[in-house]
Amino acid sequence: MADETAGMAGPPKAHGLHRFRPRLEMRQTTSGLRTAAMIAAGLAVGLGLSALILVASGVRPGDLVNEFIVQIFASPKNISAVLVQAAPMIIVGLSASIAFKARFWNIGIEGQMIFGAIGATLVATFDIGPEGLRLPLMALAAALGGIAWIALPAVLKLRLGVNEIISTLLLNYVALNFLLHLLYGPWQDPVSAFPHSEQFEETERLAALGWQSLNASLIVALALTVLVTVALTASRVGYLLNFVHTNATMARAVGVPVVLLTLAAALGSGALSGLAGFTISAGIEYRMTQSFFIGYGFSGILIAFLARNNPIGATIVALFVAVLMVAGQSLQVFYQIPFAMVQLIQAIIVICVAASDFFIRHRVQWLTG
Amino acid sequence: MTDPSGTALALDAITKTFDGFRALDAAHVSVRRGEVHALLGENGAGKSSLMNVAAGLYAPDSGRILLDGTEVTIDGPLDARTHGIGMVHQHYKLVKPFNAIENILLSDPGERYGAAIDALTARVREVADELGFELDVTKPVGTLSIAEQQRVEILKVLVGGAWILILDEPTAVLTDAEGARLLETVRALAKGGHSVVLVTHKLNEAIDYCDRITVMRGGRTVDTVEAKGISQSDLTTMIVGADVHEQRAPSQSIGAPVLQVAGLRAARGDGHIAVRDANFEVRSGEIYGIAGVGGNGQTELSDALSGLTRSLAGIVTLGGTTDITDASAEERRENGLAAIPADRHSKALSGTLSVADNFAVGGVLRGRFGSWLRVRRRELEQAAGEAVEAFDVQGVRSLKQRAALLSGGNAQKLVIAREFSGSPRLIVAHSPARGLDLRASAAVHERLRSARDAGAGVLLISEDLDEILLLCDRIGVMTRGQIVAEFDAPFDRQSVGEAMIGHG
Repeated sequence: MADETAGMAGPPKAHGLHRFRPRLEMRQTTSGLRTAAMIAAGLAVGLGLSALILVASGVRPGDLVNEFIVQIFASPKNISAVLVQAAPMIIVGLSASIAFKARFWNIGIEGQMIFGAIGATLVATFDIGPEGLRLPLMALAAALGGIAWIALPAVLKLRLGVNEIISTLLLNYVALNFLLHLLYGPWQDPVSAFPHSEQFEETERLAALGWQSLNASLIVALALTVLVTVALTASRVGYLLNFVHTNATMARAVGVPVVLLTLAAALGSGALSGLAGFTISAGIEYRMTQSFFIGYGFSGILIAFLARNNPIGATIVALFVAVLMVAGQSLQVFYQIPFAMVQLIQAIIVICVAASDFFIRHRVQWLTG
Repeated sequence: MTDPSGTALALDAITKTFDGFRALDAAHVSVRRGEVHALLGENGAGKSSLMNVAAGLYAPDSGRILLDGTEVTIDGPLDARTHGIGMVHQHYKLVKPFNAIENILLSDPGERYGAAIDALTARVREVADELGFELDVTKPVGTLSIAEQQRVEILKVLVGGAWILILDEPTAVLTDAEGARLLETVRALAKGGHSVVLVTHKLNEAIDYCDRITVMRGGRTVDTVEAKGISQSDLTTMIVGADVHEQRAPSQSIGAPVLQVAGLRAARGDGHIAVRDANFEVRSGEIYGIAGVGGNGQTELSDALSGLTRSLAGIVTLGGTTDITDASAEERRENGLAAIPADRHSKALSGTLSVADNFAVGGVLRGRFGSWLRVRRRELEQAAGEAVEAFDVQGVRSLKQRAALLSGGNAQKLVIAREFSGSPRLIVAHSPARGLDLRASAAVHERLRSARDAGAGVLLISEDLDEILLLCDRIGVMTRGQIVAEFDAPFDRQSVGEAMIGHG
């Protein structure tokens, strides 16, 4: 096009290229149905690509169907494994959703889970409170632990404008090292001398529901889903948070208490992360281990992102992620697929669903030249 | 195959529909070589849509595009560029950390960065000199003024080889002097053989600087006329389909002060003290106008009064007794303040939320529409529907539609509907009619007057002296952050104007 730039005014060039090419237009409105269809299509593409990768790395297509569909959904044992796995996933998904709704980028979910578990373990180890109230007290201590760990970044952001992405992220490492200090030091299990806390007593565990390995952590997760749904979609807080999310300047100008709402959302997110730590300790592992939290921070962000911070959406996505995790575990065990491959598949699905957003917001027309 | 009439660009029977909404309905315009052609019309008349078709941004559903008499298809903005059509949009498409040269290079990267940048720098300097543009092409575009950024956009289009130039409301963001200078440049371009389409709704620009004028209304072309000899009122009739003429209506009864500002000091975001020692008061039942050349502290005054920024010193009293100097925006609103900021899209509306939500947020904050636990959506939507009706907000196909889809005038009506719903004692309105067409601005003015007649005090901050003279009962002139002169009605335009520039 060098000759074009050379002249300020010149005759028009004949239209040379005749070809088939796309043209994009922003959509003015998008129906809910189209949104759902596009997300489903993105998901299908992601799953298709993942299947191709797995087949290329040696899994037979038949086995793939077997692992992902037959094994997961036909076996009660696996269904319950998915649901047990899903409970903390749901809670971290809610935690991220509520923080992101206020545009508070909480990257410190894992640190807050650690402090949640520390709070719960403190109550359990030192037998604080009457036995009948032990579990609720553990939950409360976990929520407070999570709040304590997010309070500093929240106040720093709202008071001094310190970037919460960095402060919450770095506090993860502080939390991890404090956890290791406890587990290799004062809270080390006196029975086995392994670096994990002593086992919780029967009254300090979330009760089994009497079906497979399922326990009350799923109930806790679903109750929190209802609570967060009411808070974000029906209450005044949720209504006002929509303004904080979409245009904070405007929100402030019309009198929305932006600082207060952001603080509330951040602390709520911390409390939820703490409770996620509690459900793992008191519902799955019955003690605090040194690695119970690994991967939940990323998963929480991913779930909130895919669900667009919608609590019910987050619950559904969390179930889906749990399916991937459980199927991924059996792929690792039975097919020697490396864990990295499982992460790769997750990432592919995320990218495909995220890309569907483009087709939700744009119309693509195919034109011939 | 040159058209005998010298028509450079002809758009013929262009129809364009968006999701069932017909934005253009067999619209047509033809632009001659070497002319400046005005495209006039109200907001939503289809001016920008039609030009976006010419610039390759929209593919028309039907209709023909002719360049020099030959039918062409324009297949995207790059293709429009190869056809010699360039458009400068209302919102500039510039990468702020890049300098002018890098921005221009971005629209046509060439082969080798190093070689291209040297050749381009020389070329840009040459064109800039030709046009008399003062511009530092090495500074990041984000540090340039709005007028300078616009020059970068124009250079981008010209260096790209455009001989048909489309400018979408180029003077809307400029001061009067900058605007006049730009329009002189446009005339010079036309003299040099370019064709320029000026999308505007300023009638005097069309009459004074253009050769011919095409008027659009409701997606259709009304007519194309010679600019010479046409009167503003003829054009108005063509634009709105009826004559709109606003008249002064002074206040009938003025009461006690509702806003007292003493020694107010406020800073811009970067720390520059923009309001220094401002003193004035606004009484109930009057419109107090703050006139002044843009950039003399108006935005900062508006932000400080509405609670968006903190005041550094001074005392602000609302309703005679309530000290709101350090009050938050929430507290100010609880005390009866309403605000209509100049930048309505960033400070008054949340574009991605619905029309209903944008209306109702004021009520929700005052405790209407349910408790803390539950917002009653149905009640909220009903109230929003009534307000949309009462304030004549048009273009609302559904209350759930995003507010960003409203045209400027209708967006402003929605803001006013919300702000007036709490029966405010004091209204701070900053350039409330900026960017609005005649009918919409007349409607906005009427709302301000009726709020005044209902006993509210209105502070009207505007850089448009005509608007101030038309509406106000008293005028204060603001220069360098201070009220340097006050005038009572009847006003002498000359002396107000002198006060605006005399104290520089």
